[in-house]
Order: sequence, then C-alpha cells, then structure tokens
Amino acid sequence: MSFSVPQFIIPDLILLALPFLVIGCRLVIRNSKLPWRLACIGLIAVFVLLNLLPLVGGSGNYFISNWRVDDFGILMREVLTLSALLGLLLAKDYFDHGADGKPQMNQIAEFAGTVAFATFGGYIVVSACDLLTFFLGLEMATIPMYILTAWNKKDQMGSEAATKYILMGSVATAFELFGFSYLYGFAGSIHFDAIQNAAAAGTSPLLWIAVLFLFCGIGFKLTLFPFYTWAPDVYEGAPSPVTALLAVTSKATAIAFLVVLVFGPLAPVQEQIAPLIAILAGVTLFVGNLGALKQSRLRRFMAYSSIAQAGYIMVALLGPAEMSKTAIIYYLFLYTVANYLAFFVFGVIGHRREESFDALRGLSKQNVSLAVALAVAMFSLAGIPPLAGFFGKFHLFFSGASTGHYALVVFAVLNNVLALYYYLQVIKSAWADEPEGELTTLRMTKRQKLCIFLLTVGVIFMGILPHLSDNIFAGFSL
Amino acid sequence: MINDVSISYLIFLMPLLTFVVNGLFLGKRSAKGAAAFAIICNGVAFASALFLAVSYFTSGFAPQKAILFELPFLKFAESFVANIGLLVDPLSIMMLVVVTFIAFMVNIYSVGYMRGDRAEGRFFALLSLFSFSMLGLVAATNLFQMFIFWELVGVSSYLLIGFWYHKPSAVSASKQAFILTRFADSFFLLGIVIVSFVVQSFDFSTLNALTLTAFQSQVIDLGFITVNKASALVLGGVFIFTGGWGKSAMFPMHIWLPNAMEGPTPVSSIIHSATMVVAGVYLVARLFPFFALSGDTMNLIMIVGAFTMVFAAVIACTQKDIKRILAYSTLSQLGYMMFSLGACRMGDVVITTGWTASTYHIFTHAFFKCSLFLIAGSLIHQVHTNDLDAMGGLRKKMPVTYVCALISILAISGIPPFSGFFSKDEIILTAFQGHHYVVFGLALLTSGLTTFYMFRLFFLAFHGAPRSESVKAGHVHEDFFMTLPIAILAVPALASGFAAKGLFEHFFVPGKLNVPQLMLLPEAHWIPIVAVAIAVVALLIAWVLYASPKAKVERALDDINRSGIYKVIYHKFYFDEIYYAVVRQFVIGGIARAARFIQDYIVEGILAFVVWFVHKLGDLVRTAQSGNLTFYLGTLVVGVLLWRFFGQLPF
Repeated sequence: MSFSVPQFIIPDLILLALPFLVIGCRLVIRNSKLPWRLACIGLIAVFVLLNLLPLVGGSGNYFISNWRVDDFGILMREVLTLSALLGLLLAKDYFDHGADGKPQMNQIAEFAGTVAFATFGGYIVVSACDLLTFFLGLEMATIPMYILTAWNKKDQMGSEAATKYILMGSVATAFELFGFSYLYGFAGSIHFDAIQNAAAAGTSPLLWIAVLFLFCGIGFKLTLFPFYTWAPDVYEGAPSPVTALLAVTSKATAIAFLVVLVFGPLAPVQEQIAPLIAILAGVTLFVGNLGALKQSRLRRFMAYSSIAQAGYIMVALLGPAEMSKTAIIYYLFLYTVANYLAFFVFGVIGHRREESFDALRGLSKQNVSLAVALAVAMFSLAGIPPLAGFFGKFHLFFSGASTGHYALVVFAVLNNVLALYYYLQVIKSAWADEPEGELTTLRMTKRQKLCIFLLTVGVIFMGILPHLSDNIFAGFSL
Repeated sequence: MINDVSISYLIFLMPLLTFVVNGLFLGKRSAKGAAAFAIICNGVAFASALFLAVSYFTSGFAPQKAILFELPFLKFAESFVANIGLLVDPLSIMMLVVVTFIAFMVNIYSVGYMRGDRAEGRFFALLSLFSFSMLGLVAATNLFQMFIFWELVGVSSYLLIGFWYHKPSAVSASKQAFILTRFADSFFLLGIVIVSFVVQSFDFSTLNALTLTAFQSQVIDLGFITVNKASALVLGGVFIFTGGWGKSAMFPMHIWLPNAMEGPTPVSSIIHSATMVVAGVYLVARLFPFFALSGDTMNLIMIVGAFTMVFAAVIACTQKDIKRILAYSTLSQLGYMMFSLGACRMGDVVITTGWTASTYHIFTHAFFKCSLFLIAGSLIHQVHTNDLDAMGGLRKKMPVTYVCALISILAISGIPPFSGFFSKDEIILTAFQGHHYVVFGLALLTSGLTTFYMFRLFFLAFHGAPRSESVKAGHVHEDFFMTLPIAILAVPALASGFAAKGLFEHFFVPGKLNVPQLMLLPEAHWIPIVAVAIAVVALLIAWVLYASPKAKVERALDDINRSGIYKVIYHKFYFDEIYYAVVRQFVIGGIARAARFIQDYIVEGILAFVVWFVHKLGDLVRTAQSGNLTFYLGTLVVGVLLWRFFGQLPF
C-alpha cells in the first residue's frame, strides 16, 4: 500500500516540525543565532507555500477524513503565519537588550518554538471537522500564550499577568467544554456535519445552552464584553512582542473559531443567534472605544483598541457566509499589518524609554519617518480612506448591513468617530506635543527599518490598490 | 468628442506629483524650489483644466455627460464594482477649472505669505494634496470614489488647519474640524451602504436615473424597522445629505469652520472658496435628480440652507476678527447655495433654475471669496493682528489691495455689474418662483446684512485714521507675490458673473430628471431692483456708522459702554445716535445676542455635554479595571447570566 502526501498538507507538516527543529538545534549548537533564523526561514517558507496553494472552492480537501483544508482555512493560515513571522521579527530586539524599563529576555529558540506551537493551534482550529479536534486546537493555541506572557522571568508584572491570564482562561475553557458537552448531547455526535443536520432538523434548549456557553467561552479569547477584563492587564504586563501576538494571533484564532462554528455546525440557526452576536458586537466595540479614550500607557491603549476591533469584526459575522468570510479575512490581514506596524514603532521608542504616550512626544522632530509610519498605522486603524483600514471596515459593515442589521451598523459607524478621537491622540502626541526635557536618542536596527518600511508600504498599498488582494475577493467561495 | 484625453490626466497628476516630490524630496532641501515646483505644476494643471473646458464646451458635445477614463478599484461582485474615474459634464468641468485656478493663485500667494516659515516645503506639499483630493472628489463617477476623496479632503484639511501645530489652539481646531466632519461622514457612509445595497450600484448615472415606483413594492428590513425600498432610498438620501451638511458646515455643525481660521490664511482661502466646504454643495448638486425624488429631502435641504444663511449673517455683523467675519460670510453664502438647491421643488414638480443658480453661485463665489481671504491675509501680514480694532487707514498704504477689496466686496454684496449680483439674483428668483416666500424674504434680508457687514469690514479696515502702530509708523507695504494673485482674482470677481451668464443658462441643466419638471422663464423683474435697493441702503448704513465724517469709529468698536440709550439721546448728533441705538441696541444687540446664545449655549453646550458624558463613561470603564482578579472572575459569571437574558436566544 503506497501512501502519498497530498500537496495541501505540506505547509502544515513543515510548521508542525518547525518547533522541534528550532528547539532541537539549540540543544546541539549553543549560543548562536541559528534557531531564530531557522524559525524565520521556516515561517517564510510556510507562508510562500501557502500562497502557492490553489484556492479550490467547495468544501475543500480532506486528509484522513478528519483534517479539512478549505479556502478559508488556507487564508487564515496565511494570516496566522504572517502574524507569527512578524511577531518573531519584533521579538528579536527584546532578546538583544532590555526595553520598556524591563530587563532583556532569554531563550529565543524556545520562544520561537512556542510561537510556532501557538500558530499550529490556530491551524488545527481552521481544519477541524469535529468537536474534539476543535477543542484541541483552541487549547493548543491558548496554552503557549500563557507561557509567552510570563516569558520575562525577571519581570514581576509579567508573572502577575500570566497568573491572571491562566486563571481566567481556565474558567473560559471550562465554559467551552461545558458547551461542547451539551452540543454533543444535543446532536449525539461530535462531527460537525452531524451537528449541522441535527440543528437543521430542529432545535432544543440543549442547543441554546451550548451556544450560550460557547460564545461566553470564546468571548474570553476574543475579548468580548464583559469577558475582556483580563486583556488590559495582561497586555500591559506581557512583553511587547507577546502583546502583539496576543492582539493578532490569539484574536485571529478566536475569530476563526467563531467563523467555523457559525458557518459550520451552527449554520442552520445563524438567524436565531444573530441577536446575540449583534449585542455582543455592539457592546464590545462601545466599551473598547470608551476604555481607550484616556489611556496613558501605549500597550494598555492598544488593548482597548483591539477590544474595539474585535467588536467591529463581530459585525461581519452577521452577514451571509461568503461575504462574511471575505470581510473577516481581509480585515484580519490589514489589522495584522497595521497593528504590527504600531508595535514596531513602539518597540523602537521603547528601547530606552517607557512605552507611554509621553515617550512619543517630539517624535516628529526627532525622526519624521517613524512619526509618519505611526500616523499611517493609526489612520488605518481608525478607518480613514484611502488607507486599508477603511476598506476593511467598509466590508465588515457591508456584510452586517446585507442581512439588515442597520441599527448595529449605525452604531458601529458612529463609534468610529469616537475611535478617531483616540487614534488622533496618539498622532497628536507624536506630532504636536513638545518633549519634556532632553530626548534619548532613537536607535533602529536594519531589521526594524526594513520591517517598518515594508509594513507602511503594505498599509498604503492595500489601501490605494485594493484589487491587488483580488484573490481574496474573487477566488473566494465556500 | 474630446480628442485629447491624455491631457486630462495632467489635471490630477500634477498636484499629486507636487505632493510626492515636495513631501519626500524637495520640501526639506529648498523651500524656494518647492514653491517654484508647486506653482509650475499647479499652473500646468490649471492650463490642462482650461484646455479640457474649452474643448468640451466648443465641441458641441456639451452638456452631455461622459466618462473619460475609469479603472476598476474594488470588486464587490461581478456586476457591482467601485471604480475610479473622471466624469465630465458641465458641473465637473466648471469645478475642475475653479479648483485648479484657485489652487494656482493660492500657491503663488503662499510664496509671500509663508516666506520664512520653518516648514514652507511641507506647506506646499500639503496644499497640493488638498487640491488633489478635491479634484478627485469633483471628478468622481460614483459614490464610493467620492467618499474616498471626501475623506482625503478631510485628512488634508486636518493637516493644514493644524499646520502650525506648536499652537495648541490650531491643534484643537484641526481636531474639531476633523472629528465633527467625520461624525457627519459616518452618516454619509451609512447612506452609501443603504443606497448601494438597495440599488446594487455606486454609479451616479444609475442613481440619478432612478425612479421610486419600481422600489415601492419591495420590502427591506433595516433592523429596527421594516420599510419598502423606496423609503429606504429616501432615508439613505437624507443620510448622504448629512455628509454634505457637516462638510459644508451648515447649522448646527458649523462650529468647526470659524475655529478652522487657526490655519494659515492661504489655507482658509482655499477651504472657503474651492475645496472642502463647497464639497457639500457639490454633493447635493451632483446627486440632484436623486435627492429630487423626495420632496421632504428637498425641504430639509432648503430649511437647513436658509437658516444657516440668516444665522451666520447675523453673527458676522458682530464679529471683530477679520477672518471670522469672512468665515461667517462663507457660511451665509453656502446657505444661499444650499437652499437654492432645496427650493427647486414646488409641490410635485421641480424647477431647475435653482440648480443652475446654485452652481452659478459656486462659480462666482469662489473668486471673490478667495480674493477676500487673500486680502485679509495681506492685511494681517502687515498689521500683525486679525482685529479690526487695530486696522484702519490702510487705503493709502495698500492701494492695489484697496481697489481689489472694493471689487470683491461689491461682488459679494450683489451690486451690479459685479459677479455676485447675477448669481445671487438667480437664487433669490428661485425662492420666489418656488413660492417659498418666507425664504425669499430671508434671502433679501440676508443680502442686506451681507452688504452691511462686508462694508463694515471694508470701512473699518481701510478708511478712517490708522489705529495701529505699524500703520502709523509706515512699515506697511504691499508684497508682490501676495498682491499679484489678489489683482488677478479681481478680474473674475468683477467679470465672471457677467461673462458666464449665458453659459450657465445654456449648459447647466442637472441632467434628466425623473420627476415632472417645469422650466420657468425669468419673471418678476422687480426683484433685482429691490435686492439692489436693499443692498444700497445697507451700504449707506454701514457708511454712516463707520465711515462718514461724523462716524464715531471708536464708539462703534467700543464693546464696554454700549448700553445707555439715555446718554445717547442727549448726545449732539441725535440722528446718528438714534441709528446707533436702533441698529446696535436692537438689531445687532438683540438678534445677534439671540444668535450668539444659540451658538454658545445650545450648540456648543450640547457638544460639550456629549464630550463630557463620553469621557465619564470612559472613566467608568477604566475604574472597572481595578486589577482585582476576584472581580474579573465574577465578570465571567455575570457575563453568562447577562447574555442568557439579553442575548435573545430562544429558550
């Protein structure tokens, strides 16, 4: 019996092998840059291979009947890989020297491996066909995040944040398991198709209890109201690159989880759970925006900003499957790019200073290009055309509006004005405020320069030439 | 029809090129080089726009619409694509010429005005970005393109109003302008979402060819209410208009415009004459057949416009900051344009004269308002203050500026044969023809007020004895780069109305309307005579109060001892003093106080309350973030219960 490996599974296999390779090679070769380089090259290879995979449409390809690779899965993999890669590039500096008033971190090889594991967890979530795999993926994406949060052992804040995170996370996991068990009780099977058929045939309170607990559980990871409370503290306490990973990878995994759930097993009852999604989205984006209004620490500010962004993404879940998935994928791409751009800039500033709004003062005089990059990131996050953020938000809102949720869309659009206010605060700090006292010099490595340049160009070009991403729009089908 | 399409690219490429080159390379190295480059490029853009206009109007093709080029930009579905293109019709061509011309003039002027500023290069880059955004907006073939450039106009105005970002007042003014217009824009965006979802198209040609009857039978669920698609379209139309409402700074969203005076004067000039605020009026004019589908929308447009017109004119009478007077006068003139568009509807039929009149007024207003701001800038540059208190006696020192100011002020006052007369006369006529007699009366009244406050400014600035040290000491002179554009602009301010009169009536029709329409011939020949008579009376009042040999300028400017009718009657010149009493105490004092009350306490009060309330809520969210783990874990449980009851899950 011959056994051939299908093409579409190769990136997954590489990613799975990557952490073992990276950590393993550190065991053999001590104190070299090799593990980190290997991790970056591996992720780039995965990203390139994913881009070479043709989008197939339909229900995708199956591997051993239990591992599904469809178009949404491939594009989500690209988002997750991109995020992991950028996270590693960002993290390198924090291992070379201390930043944000904290000592430097150690063991970059293990760090890279852990990031790769978390990314693979996201892969599992988008490939799952049954509840067990699904749950496994979610846990595998989350547990490395607990570890990463406490990575800086010399920093007490980090340990405190990780403790809070893991305690809260455990409760949320319990909620999810509870929800899964009821879902199983309702359908009599853990397979998505069977659950879908059962839901189409008729509903029962079992199903609704399952839905309630699943949404509350994932609400923790997606920072929905009122489950977001951990986020500002953990974002603040974790090392900066981990905060970026939490804001992007963790959030992308959680939203992928919801997409798989809502358009998979729960598709027949999407209309009934729409009010729940709508109210979660509306309250979350409002609270996120309110929280961001008067922050003085940058990472805390980004935490609230990402809470609000989660609310915006939820709006798209209300739409029809194809439109919704397109909008979410597109938004996640540019959210990744704009978010990392902001974090890279904060990283440069945080080298010798605290990562706070005050540290941004006088940036426009000290380094104009950095100030421009920051402004581009903020304008994009605020959704100002012609930057990418606007088209992303437009898609999200259009998706929500296409099933008639105008009230929510009105609310979300108005909230955008509020968001503009606080994103402008960042720009104001960087451009208008006079620095207090002598400014410490800013030093940028070549890697940082290149990343900031590429990401800035990315934000601008995704905005002025959105048809470059046509493969997302055109090649996309269920 | 137009042989050479390639030249039309230049109109857009040149400002963009200026922005890129000056912003990235030239601006930092050589301010002079940046200025020269900006002037040349904007000149080329203007020449191409003019060439396009001439070949269009002489080709016999006018007034038909054409799309010169179009690129797919964003695909929503196979048949539902947002394009970027250049729409050519009399309206867009007129705007292209006006915008490029004003941009050209303002660039020349800025050489003098910004000389020695530490960021001169950046200024020229941003100015070109501003005109590029406006050109893209004007050329839009669909709502989506218009919105993109609409926001870009907002961003560039934000950057320019806050250009002197070391001044806290400039920073807060730019932020206010951006956020307030953005607030209005969010309705615009919503309107686009609703309308494009119903119609499945962004194109103006499709939208303007709609009829409501086809949509009456279909029903759409708007989430909070289920209506038929026709009503959804009307609602979407009102939302879209709200975007223009904010951008054109109509009451009560007008407060950002006077504050936007914190920007450099050339920026105010270009904002007020050709870019930014005109965008709102342009939007309504562009989608006129679409708005005309609903009589209520038209009435809303008319009421908003007419109220702003009177309100701003009354406030302008009491201001002493020269730029603020001009800002309020812009508001008032925009009110004219807006209500003229709204007044076209008479019962079930539509008269198109209002549309023609409004676009005509955009055209003439651009020249004289640009000129007035540039003149104000010249005065400020020489006297170093915005305050009329410190001006006076500038006639001798700045003769060219004086003559040009006179021309522009006569134009805005609507005195024949200056340009404003023709367009304003048509607007007033529209109100009369549409049987909107209240608005008609208000328009006549405002015309008088306009003359009064403009001549008040004129007399106080140029006539009388000098009240400023620098004028007395003779340091005042005219700067060549600043006076040249003022002199050039005086020509269209004088002649554009007369010259373009036939052109507008011949070519400017709003396109095919899907509602019954009437073409009314001009009637009521007494209207221009009455309008001019009112203007002349207002002029005389201004003269008596501020420039006649017996005028008490100090008294007129005195803010503190303005009460006391008693004292006044015992004064030597009974007649004058009664004028003071009536005009100051009653007209200006009473009405203006009411107007300012609305402004200061109601509009700004509500705004302040909203800001306060939102900040309080923000504080609440932050206080909840105590760092206490027990509380956090509690929220998880509370959350489950919360969504059990509010999640509307069916169990």
